[in-house]
This record gives sequence, C-alpha cells and structure tokens, in this order.
Amino acid sequence: MSRIALVALLLGAPAAGAAQGTTAEMLDRAVHYHAELDVEREVAILRGIVSPNSPFIVTQEQRGLAYKYLGAALVVRGQADSGILYFRAAIERDPFTELEPQKFTPTELAAFGEAKRLTFALGVRPVTPDTIDPRTERLTFTVLSTHAAALRVELRATGASTMLPLYAGDNDGPRELQWDGLLGDGRLAPPGRYELLVTGLSRLNQRGDSARLYFSLEHDHLPLDDTLPTLRSVELLPEQLPPGMARSELLKGFGLATAALLIPRTLGNGDLQGGGPALAAGVAGVVSAAGVAGFIHRQRHREIPGNVAVNARRRAERAAANAAILQRNRERLAETRLVVGPAAGVGP
Amino acid sequence: MNAARLIWASIVAVCALALAPVQAAGQMSLHGRAEIGRVEYRVRDSGTVQPSSGVVFGGALGLLIGDRFAVWGEARGGRLAAASAEGEDRDVAEVQLAGEAYLRPWLTAQGGVNVRSYSTPLARQRWTTLRLGAEARVPLALDGVHGLVRAQWMPVVSVSGLEHPDIALAAGVGVEWRGPRVSVRALYTLERYDFSGSAAAQRLEEVSSLQVGATLRLRTSGRKGSETTPSP
Repeated sequence: MSRIALVALLLGAPAAGAAQGTTAEMLDRAVHYHAELDVEREVAILRGIVSPNSPFIVTQEQRGLAYKYLGAALVVRGQADSGILYFRAAIERDPFTELEPQKFTPTELAAFGEAKRLTFALGVRPVTPDTIDPRTERLTFTVLSTHAAALRVELRATGASTMLPLYAGDNDGPRELQWDGLLGDGRLAPPGRYELLVTGLSRLNQRGDSARLYFSLEHDHLPLDDTLPTLRSVELLPEQLPPGMARSELLKGFGLATAALLIPRTLGNGDLQGGGPALAAGVAGVVSAAGVAGFIHRQRHREIPGNVAVNARRRAERAAANAAILQRNRERLAETRLVVGPAAGVGP
Repeated sequence: MNAARLIWASIVAVCALALAPVQAAGQMSLHGRAEIGRVEYRVRDSGTVQPSSGVVFGGALGLLIGDRFAVWGEARGGRLAAASAEGEDRDVAEVQLAGEAYLRPWLTAQGGVNVRSYSTPLARQRWTTLRLGAEARVPLALDGVHGLVRAQWMPVVSVSGLEHPDIALAAGVGVEWRGPRVSVRALYTLERYDFSGSAAAQRLEEVSSLQVGATLRLRTSGRKGSETTPSP
C-alpha cells in the first residue's frame, strides 16, 4: 500500500512544476484572445489566473500581466471603471507597467492613462551586473513616477549619512540618470554597498511615495604592491661610537706614553745610566697630549661620518623605491574600473 | 758567511723587495723628508762611561711603490759634544737604505742596512748594521694622527776594530700626523749594543734620540693611489 502511495506521489510531483508553465500558457491564450477581440474567453482565463483559488502557481510578474490584460478586456467590454481598477493594481505592483500602443486600442490607452493619474507610484529599475570605466563610461539608473511629481533621487553608501543628490525636480514618467562613480568630494566611490533612494510627491493628489534600490560596487584594478618597510636598526650601521670609545683614546695615549717611559728603564742598560729619559719623557708628553685631545674630540664628536653617509644613502634608496611603488600603485588605481551588481539590502 | 757578505746579501734583498712590485703596482710617488733630532750617545769602555750629545740633522728620499712597499734612502749627520772635559767630541754621520712592506694598515715590516761613522780627532769608527723590525701604528681619534711603536733587531753588526756585539736591539715610540701631502712625526728611539767581555771591562754602547721630521710628497706617477704619506 505504501509503495502505491509513493508511486502516486512521484507521479504527482511534475504536476506542480508544470503549473507555472500552465499559467504561462493560459496567459499566452489570453493575449491571443485579446488580439482577436474574444474578450469573453480572455476574461474567463484571466479571472482564473488572478483568482486566489487558482490551482496553479502565479508569479508576481504573471499576476501583474494578468491584471493589465484583464483591465484592458474590461475596458473593451464597457466596464471602464473596473478596468481602471485592474490597471491600478497592475501599476501598483510594477510602476513600470505600460500598454504598448500597437497592441491596445486608444480607449484602453486612455483608461490606462486615467489609472496612472489616479495611482501615484515611484519605481527604480534594478541594475544589471556590469563593469564600467569611470573615466569614459557612466552608470545609468532608470527611475519612474507614474504621473507628474516632485522627484528627488539620492545616492549614499549604506551606513553613511551623507547623501549624493542625483536629481531633484519635476518628473513625469521614466527618467534616466547617469552617475560617474564619484562622490561629492570628487573621489571615486569606495567599494561597498550603496542605496539609491527615490522619493516623490504627487503633483495631482499630493500623495507621497518612495522606492529604494540597493547595489554593490567593487573596484577592479591590477594588484597593488606593498611598500617596503622602514629600515630596521639591524639593517643600518651604527652612527655613533659607544661612550667607552672616548676612554679608550685616553688609554691609548697613556699606554704609548708608558711605553716611551719604560723603554729607557727596560731596554736601556742600567750600567750606562742613560737611555735618554728626558727624550722619552718628551715624546711621552706628546703622545699623552694626543690621547687627551683624542678623548676630548671623541666625546664631542661621537658620530661616524662614513656610517652616517651609508645609512643616509640606504634610507634614500628605500624612500626612492617606495616612491616608485606608490607611483606605480597610483597609476594602477587611476585605471580602476567599477564592478556594479544588484544587492539585497544594506548587508548580509 | 762573514758579516760583510751577509750585509751585501741583505742590501740586495732589500733592493729586490723594494723594486720587485714596481711593474705590478703601476703607481709610484716620491717623498722627501727633513728632520732634526737630539741624540744622546753613551759608551762605556774600560769601565769609564763617556756620554755625549748633540743635535743631528738629516734628510731622506723615499719611493712609495703602490700601496704596499716603500724604499728609503736616508742620511744624517751632526756633532756630539762630550759631557765632561775628559771626553772627546765626536762627529756622527750615517746613511741608511731601508725597505718597508705594509703588511696591514696598522703594521709595517722594516728592514735595512745602516752605515754609521763616529769620528774624533784621533780615529774614525764605522758601524755597519743590518736592521730587521716592525712598526705598529695605533690610530688615535684626531684625524690623521697615529701613535707609533717600533722594535728592531740588528742580527748583523760590524764595527771597525771591535767584535760584533752580543746584544743589538732598538725600540721606539712616537706620534705622527698625516695630511694629504705632508706628514709630521716625532719619534723617540733607543739603540742598545752590548759587546762581549767581562762584566767590568764589557764595552756597552747606547744611542737614544728624539727626532722630529716632516715628510712631503714630491711627485706621483701612474694611476692615482693612496693619498696617505708613507712612514719611513
């Protein structure tokens, strides 16, 4: 018994998938009947589609199309008020709904125009994924008001308080707006999510409406190079001698003086009682003075000029390398392209 | 090998040492030096010490070959006055041919032949000496200033009328400043000669001196080499 139920379930599954196709076929038949002015059959089919009891799945787009044709059919049947109601329902679902003049009669078009006058709605067409070069191309937004209105279109990064106005003024119908990808400060818009906010006030009935469009923006450019880090101390030569070096000068001077004084005592023959101690003392005084002078000089000038010059050259080379990297990065950033895509909201 | 032949062999060796790298080095510079020195000379002979001292003047010409070798020809002379009425005044004159090899920036090997004569109204004594030694240079903080420490051994000493001494040593300490073309040096040296003999009758001689000299680079030929002035 359970096997029979399973088979029945599997056989029934495609029926649900085919339901949408069935709605599309019904709409096709309705459109065909509308072209042949077979209004009764058309109305019957369309009522079946828009009925809450319809056994088939009906998408929002199909429902809007059904409302449009149902409104037109009712206008043809002489039920203009009912037709206008269906037209308004179609417009409220999709403000971009239009009647093609080559497919509909002037009476239908007039009724549809009346519906647009009675219904105030704002719309913005979703962006399609695209890549633009902001130096030569523009991102196009299409906004719409169903009838004459004071319209304001602004752009901002999600989370930002600053709005970039794209349009402010009267509008009636669709309007294309172009954005060069720059913010108010003249800089390229950073990557992230953006919100296009459309607000308006009807000139006919003073009613207000708004519409939002979210889209994502990414930068596309060649990979940037990292700048080289600042030279570490181990990469630089010591620029100053340690303080002990000054004392060593003193020791060297006194060491030489001691050697001079010891020569007559050690190398000289004691039996001769000579060795020129006065001469040795003279040169000992000179080398001692040189040691003291070296000590003072070293205390006052601890820098190592050769090392200072080498370090300066290394720093200059590093700075030049980083400047070249930054310049290369700037050139790559200047060729940045904007990758635009639809987004669901302010964030995931 | 007797002393004279050894000395001549040493002269040839010094000349060869000095001249061998000429072609390889390709750069030579000629230096001249003038110096003045105070010399104290003491000799004990037959138990009596005879001190004398005086001022000695000297000059030298040096040829620096490349950055590694130098050869110097030197001459000095002066009069040493006896310190006591019993002593005799002496005229001293000497010539020296010396070679130097700069082994390290701070170390120089030295070798040379020195011929010196002491003259009195009664006699003349000639000394011929082969000197071998080294000189260390101790850099001091002042620009171009070095301390000098020198030690020499005289393996061959020939003295007219005497046997060669048992001990023949010399040592010195000094200081030198080297500029781009000129260098100035003060050097104290002590030479000791002990001859053989009994303790009382042993002949002893000692020469101590303090010399101050200035060296000037006279001429440079070939490619440009070191700007430093060689040390004699």
